[in-house]
Amino acid sequence: MTPANCQSPLAWETLLAYWLGELDADGEARTEEHYLGCAQCSHRLEQVVALANGVRTLARGSGVSMIIDDQFVRKLREEGRNVREYRVPPNGSVNCTVTPEDEFVVGRLEVPLAGVQRVDVLTRYDFVEGEQRQEDIPFVAASGAVVICPSIDLLRASPASIWTIRLLAVDDEGERTLGEYTFNHTPHSP
Amino acid sequence: MPSPIPDAAVADATLALRVARASADPDREAEAELCRRLAPRVRLYGLRHLGSEAAAADLMQHVMLTMIERLREGALREPERLTSFVFGVCRMVVLDLKRGHIRRERLLETYGDALAPPEPSEPSLDQTRLASCLERLPERERTVLLLTFYDDMSAEALASELDISQANVRVIRHRGLDRLRQCVTGEAQ
Repeated sequence: MTPANCQSPLAWETLLAYWLGELDADGEARTEEHYLGCAQCSHRLEQVVALANGVRTLARGSGVSMIIDDQFVRKLREEGRNVREYRVPPNGSVNCTVTPEDEFVVGRLEVPLAGVQRVDVLTRYDFVEGEQRQEDIPFVAASGAVVICPSIDLLRASPASIWTIRLLAVDDEGERTLGEYTFNHTPHSP
Repeated sequence: MPSPIPDAAVADATLALRVARASADPDREAEAELCRRLAPRVRLYGLRHLGSEAAAADLMQHVMLTMIERLREGALREPERLTSFVFGVCRMVVLDLKRGHIRRERLLETYGDALAPPEPSEPSLDQTRLASCLERLPERERTVLLLTFYDDMSAEALASELDISQANVRVIRHRGLDRLRQCVTGEAQ
Protein backbone atom coordinates (compact mmCIF):
# COMPACT_ATOMS: atom_id res chain seq x y z
CA MET A 1 0.00 0.00 0.00
CA THR A 2 1.12 3.56 -0.55
CA PRO A 3 -0.16 6.90 0.72
CA ALA A 4 -2.32 7.05 -2.38
CA ASN A 5 -4.04 3.73 -1.97
CA CYS A 6 -4.44 2.94 1.73
CA GLN A 7 -8.14 2.15 1.67
CA SER A 8 -8.56 1.76 5.42
CA PRO A 9 -6.08 3.92 7.35
CA LEU A 10 -5.51 2.94 10.95
CA ALA A 11 -7.31 5.25 13.37
CA TRP A 12 -5.19 7.62 15.44
CA GLU A 13 -6.64 5.93 18.54
CA THR A 14 -5.41 2.55 17.28
CA LEU A 15 -1.93 3.88 16.59
CA LEU A 16 -1.76 5.38 20.09
CA ALA A 17 -3.05 2.21 21.71
CA TYR A 18 -0.48 0.21 19.74
CA TRP A 19 2.42 2.41 20.76
CA LEU A 20 1.30 2.41 24.39
CA GLY A 21 1.06 -1.39 24.44
CA GLU A 22 -2.68 -1.43 25.02
CA LEU A 23 -3.78 -3.75 22.18
CA ASP A 24 -4.28 -7.47 22.60
CA ALA A 25 -2.01 -9.83 20.64
CA ASP A 26 -4.38 -10.08 17.65
CA GLY A 27 -4.92 -6.34 17.45
CA GLU A 28 -1.21 -5.74 17.71
CA ALA A 29 -0.45 -8.21 14.91
CA ARG A 30 -3.14 -6.71 12.64
CA THR A 31 -1.76 -3.24 13.24
CA GLU A 32 1.82 -4.31 12.52
CA GLU A 33 0.97 -6.17 9.36
CA HIS A 34 -0.92 -3.12 8.17
CA TYR A 35 1.72 -0.47 8.77
CA LEU A 36 4.58 -2.65 7.54
CA GLY A 37 2.81 -2.55 4.19
CA CYS A 38 1.51 1.00 4.35
CA ALA A 39 3.59 4.13 3.88
CA GLN A 40 0.76 6.41 4.98
CA CYS A 41 0.04 4.67 8.29
CA SER A 42 3.71 4.10 9.07
CA HIS A 43 4.24 7.83 8.56
CA ARG A 44 1.41 8.58 10.99
CA LEU A 45 2.92 6.15 13.47
CA GLU A 46 6.20 8.06 13.13
CA GLN A 47 4.29 11.14 14.27
CA VAL A 48 3.15 9.28 17.39
CA VAL A 49 6.74 8.21 18.05
CA ALA A 50 7.99 11.78 17.58
CA LEU A 51 5.42 13.04 20.08
CA ALA A 52 6.34 10.34 22.59
CA ASN A 53 10.07 11.02 22.18
CA GLY A 54 9.51 14.76 22.54
CA VAL A 55 7.59 14.31 25.79
CA ARG A 56 10.28 11.92 27.05
CA THR A 57 13.03 14.45 26.33
CA LEU A 58 11.16 17.18 28.21
CA ALA A 59 10.37 14.90 31.16
CA ARG A 60 13.96 13.68 31.48
CA GLY A 61 15.35 17.18 31.18
CA SER A 62 12.84 18.76 33.60
CA GLY A 63 11.84 20.96 30.68
CA VAL A 64 8.27 21.36 31.82
CA SER A 65 6.62 21.76 35.24
CA MET A 66 5.16 18.58 36.70
CA ILE A 67 3.21 17.36 39.67
CA ILE A 68 4.94 14.14 40.67
CA ASP A 69 5.02 11.87 43.71
CA ASP A 70 7.45 10.39 46.21
CA GLN A 71 7.92 7.26 44.12
CA PHE A 72 9.05 9.32 41.13
CA VAL A 73 11.51 11.25 43.30
CA ARG A 74 12.93 7.95 44.55
CA LYS A 75 13.28 6.76 40.96
CA LEU A 76 15.18 9.90 39.98
CA ARG A 77 17.59 9.40 42.86
CA GLU A 78 18.06 5.71 42.07
CA GLU A 79 19.00 6.75 38.52
CA GLY A 80 21.64 9.03 39.98
CA ARG A 81 19.93 12.25 38.92
CA ASN A 82 20.78 15.36 40.94
CA VAL A 83 17.59 16.19 42.82
CA ARG A 84 17.30 19.18 45.14
CA GLU A 85 14.33 18.71 47.45
CA TYR A 86 12.58 21.18 49.76
CA ARG A 87 10.13 19.81 52.31
CA VAL A 88 7.64 22.36 53.51
CA PRO A 89 5.06 21.88 56.27
CA PRO A 90 1.58 23.41 55.96
CA ASN A 91 1.81 27.22 56.22
CA GLY A 92 5.59 26.95 56.26
CA SER A 93 8.24 28.73 54.24
CA VAL A 94 11.66 27.86 52.90
CA ASN A 95 14.64 29.61 51.32
CA CYS A 96 15.45 28.00 48.03
CA THR A 97 17.69 28.17 44.98
CA VAL A 98 18.84 26.13 42.00
CA THR A 99 22.50 25.37 41.29
CA PRO A 100 24.10 24.48 37.95
CA GLU A 101 24.42 20.86 39.12
CA ASP A 102 20.72 20.44 39.90
CA GLU A 103 18.75 18.45 37.34
CA PHE A 104 15.44 18.49 39.18
CA VAL A 105 14.15 20.70 41.97
CA VAL A 106 11.14 19.42 43.87
CA GLY A 107 8.97 20.94 46.56
CA ARG A 108 7.30 18.42 48.85
CA LEU A 109 4.28 20.19 50.26
CA GLU A 110 3.09 18.32 53.33
CA VAL A 111 -0.68 18.35 53.56
CA PRO A 112 -3.47 16.31 55.17
CA LEU A 113 -5.28 14.69 52.24
CA ALA A 114 -7.53 12.13 53.95
CA GLY A 115 -11.08 12.42 52.59
CA VAL A 116 -10.09 15.02 50.01
CA GLN A 117 -11.77 14.50 46.61
CA ARG A 118 -10.02 17.09 44.49
CA VAL A 119 -7.04 19.38 44.96
CA ASP A 120 -6.45 22.63 43.10
CA VAL A 121 -3.21 24.63 43.27
CA LEU A 122 -3.04 28.42 43.34
CA THR A 123 0.41 29.89 42.61
CA ARG A 124 1.37 33.52 43.03
CA TYR A 125 4.73 35.07 42.09
CA ASP A 126 5.55 38.44 43.59
CA PHE A 127 6.92 39.65 40.25
CA VAL A 128 3.78 38.79 38.27
CA GLU A 129 0.23 40.14 38.60
CA GLY A 130 -2.49 37.70 39.63
CA GLU A 131 -2.56 33.99 40.43
CA GLN A 132 -2.30 30.84 38.34
CA ARG A 133 -4.74 28.05 39.08
CA GLN A 134 -4.13 24.38 38.29
CA GLU A 135 -7.29 22.37 38.71
CA ASP A 136 -7.70 18.77 39.78
CA ILE A 137 -4.07 17.81 40.22
CA PRO A 138 -3.16 14.15 40.72
CA PHE A 139 -2.37 13.20 44.31
CA VAL A 140 -1.98 10.10 46.46
CA ALA A 141 -3.96 10.72 49.64
CA ALA A 142 -1.94 8.26 51.71
CA SER A 143 1.32 10.07 50.96
CA GLY A 144 0.26 13.16 52.90
CA ALA A 145 2.01 15.38 50.40
CA VAL A 146 1.79 17.07 47.03
CA VAL A 147 5.10 17.04 45.18
CA ILE A 148 5.73 19.82 42.69
CA CYS A 149 8.59 19.87 40.22
CA PRO A 150 8.87 23.19 38.36
CA SER A 151 10.67 23.39 35.03
CA ILE A 152 14.38 23.77 35.66
CA ASP A 153 14.53 26.42 32.92
CA LEU A 154 11.81 28.43 34.67
CA LEU A 155 13.71 28.26 37.96
CA ARG A 156 17.02 29.27 36.40
CA ALA A 157 15.37 32.24 34.70
CA SER A 158 13.56 33.44 37.82
CA PRO A 159 14.75 36.57 39.62
CA ALA A 160 14.98 36.73 43.41
CA SER A 161 11.33 36.38 44.29
CA ILE A 162 8.70 35.00 46.59
CA TRP A 163 6.44 32.21 45.35
CA THR A 164 3.31 31.46 47.32
CA ILE A 165 1.49 28.20 46.71
CA ARG A 166 -1.92 27.49 48.17
CA LEU A 167 -3.49 24.02 48.07
CA LEU A 168 -7.28 23.93 48.01
CA ALA A 169 -9.63 21.01 48.69
CA VAL A 170 -12.58 21.24 46.32
CA ASP A 171 -15.88 19.38 46.62
CA ASP A 172 -19.61 19.90 46.08
CA GLU A 173 -19.81 22.23 49.06
CA GLY A 174 -17.10 24.59 47.82
CA GLU A 175 -13.42 24.91 48.54
CA ARG A 176 -11.18 25.29 51.57
CA THR A 177 -7.48 25.95 52.02
CA LEU A 178 -5.44 22.91 52.98
CA GLY A 179 -2.18 24.77 53.38
CA GLU A 180 -0.10 27.67 52.16
CA TYR A 181 3.59 27.38 51.30
CA THR A 182 6.10 30.13 50.70
CA PHE A 183 9.29 29.74 48.66
CA ASN A 184 11.86 32.52 48.99
CA HIS A 185 13.79 32.00 45.79
CA THR A 186 17.31 33.37 45.33
CA PRO A 187 19.26 32.84 42.12
CA HIS A 188 22.43 30.82 42.60
CA SER A 189 25.59 32.87 43.05
CA PRO A 190 28.86 30.95 42.51
CA MET B 1 19.31 -3.08 -18.03
CA PRO B 2 16.71 -2.35 -15.34
CA SER B 3 14.14 0.31 -16.07
CA PRO B 4 14.31 3.53 -14.05
CA ILE B 5 12.76 3.41 -10.60
CA PRO B 6 9.12 4.46 -10.86
CA ASP B 7 7.85 7.39 -8.82
CA ALA B 8 7.24 7.19 -5.07
CA ALA B 9 3.75 5.79 -5.50
CA VAL B 10 5.04 2.50 -6.87
CA ALA B 11 3.79 -0.51 -4.93
CA ASP B 12 6.25 -2.46 -2.82
CA ALA B 13 5.16 -5.60 -4.62
CA THR B 14 6.22 -4.22 -8.01
CA LEU B 15 9.69 -3.61 -6.67
CA ALA B 16 9.77 -7.04 -5.07
CA LEU B 17 8.86 -8.60 -8.41
CA ARG B 18 11.67 -6.72 -10.11
CA VAL B 19 14.16 -7.99 -7.54
CA ALA B 20 12.86 -11.54 -7.84
CA ARG B 21 12.98 -11.56 -11.65
CA ALA B 22 16.48 -10.13 -11.82
CA SER B 23 18.13 -12.86 -9.77
CA ALA B 24 20.98 -13.53 -12.22
CA ASP B 25 21.84 -9.87 -12.63
CA PRO B 26 20.67 -8.20 -9.40
CA ASP B 27 18.49 -5.11 -9.89
CA ARG B 28 20.30 -3.01 -7.33
CA GLU B 29 18.19 0.04 -7.91
CA ALA B 30 15.02 -1.86 -7.11
CA GLU B 31 16.70 -3.48 -4.10
CA ALA B 32 17.83 -0.13 -2.75
CA GLU B 33 14.41 1.44 -3.31
CA LEU B 34 12.67 -1.45 -1.60
CA CYS B 35 14.99 -1.10 1.41
CA ARG B 36 14.50 2.68 1.44
CA ARG B 37 10.75 2.20 1.62
CA LEU B 38 10.58 -0.67 4.08
CA ALA B 39 13.46 0.02 6.47
CA PRO B 40 11.73 2.91 8.30
CA ARG B 41 8.65 0.75 8.89
CA VAL B 42 10.76 -2.10 10.22
CA ARG B 43 12.55 0.39 12.45
CA LEU B 44 9.19 1.35 13.99
CA TYR B 45 8.52 -2.31 14.67
CA GLY B 46 11.94 -2.59 16.27
CA LEU B 47 11.48 0.49 18.43
CA ARG B 48 8.14 -0.81 19.64
CA HIS B 49 9.44 -4.27 20.54
CA LEU B 50 13.09 -3.68 21.38
CA GLY B 51 12.94 -0.17 22.82
CA SER B 52 16.22 1.22 21.53
CA GLU B 53 17.53 2.78 18.35
CA ALA B 54 20.54 0.46 18.27
CA ALA B 55 18.42 -2.67 18.51
CA ALA B 56 15.94 -1.30 15.95
CA ALA B 57 18.87 -0.68 13.60
CA ASP B 58 20.02 -4.30 14.06
CA LEU B 59 16.53 -5.48 13.23
CA MET B 60 16.37 -3.32 10.12
CA GLN B 61 19.67 -4.63 8.79
CA HIS B 62 18.77 -8.22 9.43
CA VAL B 63 15.28 -8.02 7.95
CA MET B 64 16.38 -6.11 4.85
CA LEU B 65 19.20 -8.56 4.22
CA THR B 66 16.94 -11.59 4.64
CA MET B 67 14.28 -10.05 2.41
CA ILE B 68 16.70 -9.32 -0.44
CA GLU B 69 18.35 -12.74 -0.16
CA ARG B 70 15.00 -14.53 -0.29
CA LEU B 71 13.76 -12.45 -3.19
CA ARG B 72 16.95 -13.07 -5.17
CA GLU B 73 16.73 -16.82 -4.48
CA GLY B 74 13.15 -16.82 -5.73
CA ALA B 75 12.15 -18.31 -2.40
CA LEU B 76 9.32 -15.82 -1.99
CA ARG B 77 6.83 -17.40 -4.39
CA GLU B 78 4.33 -14.58 -4.20
CA PRO B 79 6.21 -11.29 -3.98
CA GLU B 80 2.87 -9.52 -3.60
CA ARG B 81 2.74 -11.15 -0.17
CA LEU B 82 5.94 -9.33 0.75
CA THR B 83 4.38 -7.56 3.73
CA SER B 84 3.36 -10.83 5.39
CA PHE B 85 6.84 -12.16 4.76
CA VAL B 86 8.51 -9.08 6.26
CA PHE B 87 6.17 -9.23 9.24
CA GLY B 88 7.14 -12.87 9.84
CA VAL B 89 10.85 -12.12 9.60
CA CYS B 90 10.45 -9.17 12.00
CA ARG B 91 8.81 -11.40 14.60
CA MET B 92 11.47 -14.08 14.25
CA VAL B 93 14.41 -11.68 14.42
CA VAL B 94 12.97 -9.81 17.40
CA LEU B 95 12.74 -13.11 19.27
CA ASP B 96 16.34 -13.91 18.38
CA LEU B 97 17.53 -10.44 19.37
CA LYS B 98 15.73 -10.70 22.69
CA ARG B 99 17.32 -14.08 23.32
CA GLY B 100 20.71 -12.62 22.48
CA HIS B 101 21.18 -14.97 19.52
CA ILE B 102 22.05 -12.09 17.23
CA ARG B 103 24.72 -9.66 18.21
CA ARG B 104 25.16 -6.24 16.70
CA GLU B 105 28.90 -6.72 16.56
CA ARG B 106 28.52 -9.91 14.54
CA LEU B 107 26.18 -8.22 12.10
CA LEU B 108 28.56 -5.37 11.59
CA GLU B 109 31.51 -7.74 11.11
CA THR B 110 29.59 -9.67 8.49
CA TYR B 111 27.99 -6.87 6.54
CA GLY B 112 30.02 -3.79 7.38
CA ASP B 113 28.39 -0.61 6.18
CA ALA B 114 26.54 -2.26 3.31
CA LEU B 115 23.25 -2.00 5.14
CA ALA B 116 23.82 1.14 7.13
CA PRO B 117 20.61 2.13 8.86
CA PRO B 118 18.92 5.25 7.56
CA GLU B 119 18.64 8.27 9.78
CA PRO B 120 15.57 8.24 12.07
CA SER B 121 12.68 9.43 9.97
CA GLU B 122 10.35 10.90 12.57
CA PRO B 123 9.28 14.43 11.83
CA SER B 124 11.31 16.75 14.05
CA LEU B 125 9.27 18.55 16.68
CA ASP B 126 9.81 22.07 17.91
CA GLN B 127 10.61 21.32 21.57
CA THR B 128 9.74 24.86 22.67
CA ARG B 129 6.32 24.56 21.11
CA LEU B 130 5.87 21.08 22.53
CA ALA B 131 6.76 22.34 26.02
CA SER B 132 4.31 25.19 25.65
CA CYS B 133 1.59 22.79 24.50
CA LEU B 134 2.34 20.46 27.42
CA GLU B 135 2.09 23.37 29.86
CA ARG B 136 -1.38 24.10 28.50
CA LEU B 137 -2.70 20.60 29.18
CA PRO B 138 -4.81 19.97 32.27
CA GLU B 139 -2.48 19.02 35.13
CA ARG B 140 -3.67 15.43 35.34
CA GLU B 141 -3.09 14.81 31.63
CA ARG B 142 0.35 16.42 31.71
CA THR B 143 1.45 14.36 34.70
CA VAL B 144 0.20 11.11 33.20
CA LEU B 145 1.95 11.78 29.88
CA LEU B 146 5.23 12.81 31.49
CA LEU B 147 5.28 9.81 33.80
CA THR B 148 4.25 7.49 30.95
CA PHE B 149 7.08 8.48 28.65
CA TYR B 150 9.79 9.27 31.20
CA ASP B 151 10.28 5.57 31.69
CA ASP B 152 7.81 3.86 29.30
CA MET B 153 5.58 3.16 32.27
CA SER B 154 2.67 0.78 31.67
CA ALA B 155 -0.93 1.74 32.42
CA GLU B 156 -0.88 -0.82 35.23
CA ALA B 157 2.21 0.63 36.93
CA LEU B 158 1.00 4.18 36.48
CA ALA B 159 -2.44 3.35 37.89
CA SER B 160 -0.80 1.85 40.93
CA GLU B 161 1.54 4.83 41.38
CA LEU B 162 -1.19 7.47 41.03
CA ASP B 163 -3.87 5.46 42.83
CA ILE B 164 -6.33 5.58 39.93
CA SER B 165 -7.78 2.86 37.70
CA GLN B 166 -5.98 1.51 34.61
CA ALA B 167 -8.98 2.43 32.48
CA ASN B 168 -8.70 5.98 33.78
CA VAL B 169 -4.99 6.12 32.95
CA ARG B 170 -5.74 5.02 29.37
CA VAL B 171 -8.50 7.57 28.89
CA ILE B 172 -6.37 10.37 30.33
CA ARG B 173 -3.31 9.63 28.22
CA HIS B 174 -5.23 9.16 24.98
CA ARG B 175 -7.06 12.45 25.56
CA GLY B 176 -3.81 14.17 26.51
CA LEU B 177 -1.91 12.91 23.46
CA ASP B 178 -4.76 13.90 21.19
CA ARG B 179 -4.81 17.43 22.60
CA LEU B 180 -1.04 17.59 22.40
CA ARG B 181 -1.02 16.54 18.72
CA GLN B 182 -3.67 19.11 17.89
CA CYS B 183 -1.74 21.82 19.70
CA VAL B 184 1.62 20.94 18.12
CA THR B 185 0.20 20.70 14.61
CA GLY B 186 -1.89 23.82 15.03
CA GLU B 187 -5.19 21.96 14.58
CA ALA B 188 -6.37 23.19 17.97
CA GLN B 189 -6.33 26.84 16.97
